[in-house]
Amino acid sequence: MTTAIAVEHLVKRYGVHAAVNDVSFEVQRGEVVGFLGPNGAGKSTTLRILVGFLGPTSGSARIEGHDVQADPHAAKAALGYMPEAVPLYGEMRVAEYLRFRAELKGVGRAARTAAIGRALELARVVDVKDTLIDHLSKGYRQRVGLADALVSNPRVLVLDEPTAGMDPNQIRDVRDLIKSLGGEQTVLLSTHILPEVEASCGRVVVIDKGRLVAEGTPSELGALRRPPRLELVLRGAPARGIIAASPFELVSDHDEGDARRFVLGTPKKDEDAAIEALVSELVGAGVGVRSVERGKASLEEVFASLTHAHEPEPAAEPEGGEAA
Amino acid sequence: MRGFWPIFKRELFAFFVTPLAYVLILAFVFWQGLHFYLLVRSFAQATEASIDQGPVQAFFGGDVFYYLPLILICPAITMRLFAEERRAGTIETLLTTPVGTAGVVLAKFCAAMVAYIAMWAPTVLYIVVMRKAGDLDYRVVATSYLGVFGIGAQYIAIGTMMSAVARSQLVALILSTVLILGFFLLGLGEFVLDEGATRELCAYVSVWSQMGELSKGIVDLRRITLDATLVALPLYTTTRLVDAWRWG
Repeated sequence: MTTAIAVEHLVKRYGVHAAVNDVSFEVQRGEVVGFLGPNGAGKSTTLRILVGFLGPTSGSARIEGHDVQADPHAAKAALGYMPEAVPLYGEMRVAEYLRFRAELKGVGRAARTAAIGRALELARVVDVKDTLIDHLSKGYRQRVGLADALVSNPRVLVLDEPTAGMDPNQIRDVRDLIKSLGGEQTVLLSTHILPEVEASCGRVVVIDKGRLVAEGTPSELGALRRPPRLELVLRGAPARGIIAASPFELVSDHDEGDARRFVLGTPKKDEDAAIEALVSELVGAGVGVRSVERGKASLEEVFASLTHAHEPEPAAEPEGGEAA
Repeated sequence: MRGFWPIFKRELFAFFVTPLAYVLILAFVFWQGLHFYLLVRSFAQATEASIDQGPVQAFFGGDVFYYLPLILICPAITMRLFAEERRAGTIETLLTTPVGTAGVVLAKFCAAMVAYIAMWAPTVLYIVVMRKAGDLDYRVVATSYLGVFGIGAQYIAIGTMMSAVARSQLVALILSTVLILGFFLLGLGEFVLDEGATRELCAYVSVWSQMGELSKGIVDLRRITLDATLVALPLYTTTRLVDAWRWG
């Protein structure tokens, strides 16, 4: 058996509102998978069902082959979970807290001190191990939560927005840590920050409005991008007329200082020649060409097109409703 | 019962690390000291002594000085147990570890019981004082403390349940005080109602009568059974409530 996490037809309803609607995906052992979606997409609710904190309306979730409903102890014993808000006991010191958590997770007395030392080291919180949790900054609290998830050296790590509230250096450290965990441990991390996924995940599962909308490696998803765009910053009145007469389709434009930024959809054929022709015509007409940029094939774009384009209603639902 | 020990230890730690614990203990000890002082004065002035209405009987349930702190202090000990975990969100990290719901509930209940017993511990000094002043039947002292334990366990179990019902500590405090007070007043019905089934029911659940009997050394198995039921029922309800949060 190589499947570490299996989610099958998961549904969670709050009244008539479905926070999670028929979501299925699998994570193989040793994979680092990004669970991506805008705020309110149902990420946290799905993860909370996966870790056994919430019960699903229907469907099932398994961790290392153990059903989280039928066999919660075995499933939870294989798990390290870091919730989104990183709730901690503020009146405890960091090392004390980790000792409590290690005991709770069944780390034997003999192995406990070493396990705590390792978790402190990995999450880079050794310097605050004797500090009261209430006195820690957001970034440190976040890393204590990560140390907690790591302390029992679990086979499966589920991290809900692990880098929220961290400064750029801390984010880089955490990304490196997550990358280094892959291979031995299975990591499922949720985020709405795209560079995080591109930097650390081998595969991405995208969810929106409770539904799974795409799944694949970052480069596979990149192939789903919208038709390429061309962005121009131009100064001068004739610009608009020239663009209208060109094979390019005007997508949007707005003022940028004394110039104007145009976003254009490129023609399907002879894109390079068309761009050259357009620029030379603009220059010939005396338009000041300040910038010509071809659209980047980033996950950002794929994400936007997957999560917004297919349904018109823009209203964001609160994540998970009255979950906790 | 998985997870009992670490949670029990943490709960005790969490209770005794807060200033609230010491405020409660101080208030309780002061109250009992005042109670004892008033009793000593009253007995010093008494001209005749009755065999079954001595200072031990008076101290353990002879007057409202005994019951008032029980009704007020038990909810204050228990209000934090679940309400605070839910407010802070730590219930999510707690329940996603391999622990059993029964273990969590019992650990919290037992920690609250230890805190309660710790509050009563200084009153042993009064027993020592009484011993110096005259004869003392230690069996009566033991049954009196059994009553302290039994009634406290009921009230703490009710408080534990209410802490799981309410999301805020204050609401948990109010709900459990109201419930415990209602239960206490129901028992007082035996002194005010006419003969009949209702009066009998009131007498059966009356903690006042229970303490009256125990402080005279009378141990009634029916009362012990009632105590055990009134501890088990709220605790069982609490485990069901905690399990039900997953479906909220």
